[in-house]
Amino acid sequence: MLEYNPVRMRQTDALITGLDNSGPFARITIAAPDVASELTSGRFVLAEIGNTLRTPLFPARLGVEAFDILVPPDHLAARLQPGATINILGPLGQGFEVPASVRRLLLVADSAHLPALLDLARPRNPVSSEKPGPSGDMSVALLLSAPSAAELYPVWLLPPALEIHIVTADGSAGRGGSPLDLFPDLARWADCVCIAGKPDTYPALAHIVREVRLGPGPGFAQALLVPPLVCGVGACQGCAVETAQGIKLACTEGPVFDLLTLGARM
Amino acid sequence: MKDTGLSINLAPEHKAGLTLANPVMPAAGCFGWGTEYAHLVKIEHLGAVVVGPVTAGPRRGASPPRAVDIPGGVLLHTGLANPGISAVVRRYSRTWTRCPVPVLVHVAGTSPDATASCCHRLATVEAVAGIEIGLPDGTGPEDVCAIVEAAAAAARQPILVRLPLFSAAQLCEATVEAGANALTVSAPPRGTMWHELSGRFVTGRLYGRFVLPLALHALCRVAEQVAVPLVGCGGIHNVEEAQAALRAGASAVQIAGAVWRDPGRLSDIARALGRSSELNPPPGELAA
Repeated sequence: MLEYNPVRMRQTDALITGLDNSGPFARITIAAPDVASELTSGRFVLAEIGNTLRTPLFPARLGVEAFDILVPPDHLAARLQPGATINILGPLGQGFEVPASVRRLLLVADSAHLPALLDLARPRNPVSSEKPGPSGDMSVALLLSAPSAAELYPVWLLPPALEIHIVTADGSAGRGGSPLDLFPDLARWADCVCIAGKPDTYPALAHIVREVRLGPGPGFAQALLVPPLVCGVGACQGCAVETAQGIKLACTEGPVFDLLTLGARM
Repeated sequence: MKDTGLSINLAPEHKAGLTLANPVMPAAGCFGWGTEYAHLVKIEHLGAVVVGPVTAGPRRGASPPRAVDIPGGVLLHTGLANPGISAVVRRYSRTWTRCPVPVLVHVAGTSPDATASCCHRLATVEAVAGIEIGLPDGTGPEDVCAIVEAAAAAARQPILVRLPLFSAAQLCEATVEAGANALTVSAPPRGTMWHELSGRFVTGRLYGRFVLPLALHALCRVAEQVAVPLVGCGGIHNVEEAQAALRAGASAVQIAGAVWRDPGRLSDIARALGRSSELNPPPGELAA
């Protein structure tokens, strides 16, 4: 029965090798060589860390044998200590796909969802323990939003080559207002857009893409959409997402979808 | 399958029988079509796999949200999403022939005609060793009889019937009289939760450890009334809970939501129950 399974996932014990609680997000390093080698941005693992269901973890930095996650301080994973092991299932899902031909990559995220996009901003020439990032010859811009400066992801932690556009709802940092105000110009500039944010913003982003781009091709705008992930392998049918092609499962056919195919109901 | 003397026949009154080398199997709705967990579960250690549910025609399933976290578990409403019996047989029957353990297909018994249609189609599939019929909640004894009689008349294979949790004791005798060879006790109960993001209530089946006492209660009551083999299902997460279901009168057990949290536990439970590890050859030997 093996050859029919499209997802080469593993269930394995992973070792926590690092924890940095100094920033607004806890950075946890998870060593799992078999899984890390096949993870990409937007793919995920389901970890057994105390919830009734497994918890999806998205890599913020990809290494050859380990990966980092960034989680808020109140996240269950932030309690993990170096030396502990956690049981993970993965790698799961379909991640972001940035074609080699892309020269102008736009990342769009609110501060809470930014970690899932961070590895896309990493350069193509890595340090020894990292996988090659996608952004070698690319210009990468980030449209980063938050309710206020206090909730903004710390920009000094972002790669220096990244062009950052900040929007806060109250105007306490960057431009005041909505990220939708800046998105049209940036979407005109980009030749690929990767998005991680609140799903209720996706219809408006899709509307703008349709307005400012003439016939954007499949995959021009890709969005991360994460409903509750129960089994992670397509067996329970619980993570349904409405798309223009019908119902899709986030765990096997997502959780990264073409933004323009997503339905209004998520 | 080798006859080791430890095997269980879930359909001793049926001409084909339904012999399992081990009393542990996944529950319908939790294991996909048999391929999804192939890399994570040692299927050869199990007694059987239960795939589906399937309906006569294709079903798009419920609109999202389908899953809601609840304390101690999950509420799931899939709306019986499946491609329909013809597509399922076309896509998976060759795969099932290579399965090292018996394959049981769960048919959603939406009506007598639809159930008979599914069973008629499955009767031609050599790889299917048994059919489990799921009953809609709220079904009365007369409707149950009609569905089960239609299934038994159309099927070549033994018929298991999965009873609704809260009416299992009321329906079990009529179900056996209508031709069920074995009973699964029981289907997950239904519940309703408010889903904040979508701003609406979601009604679906409940999975979690808290189901176990309810399922054991139903199992004990059913075991007092009927003599056919019973399959315990609901809230079983470990060997001790599987043994409790066996003590309550079950001949075999189905593992439901625990598979999602820890797929490896399914074969662990099967092995720990002490009947299987050497009984079934690995998949490659049969595939050859």
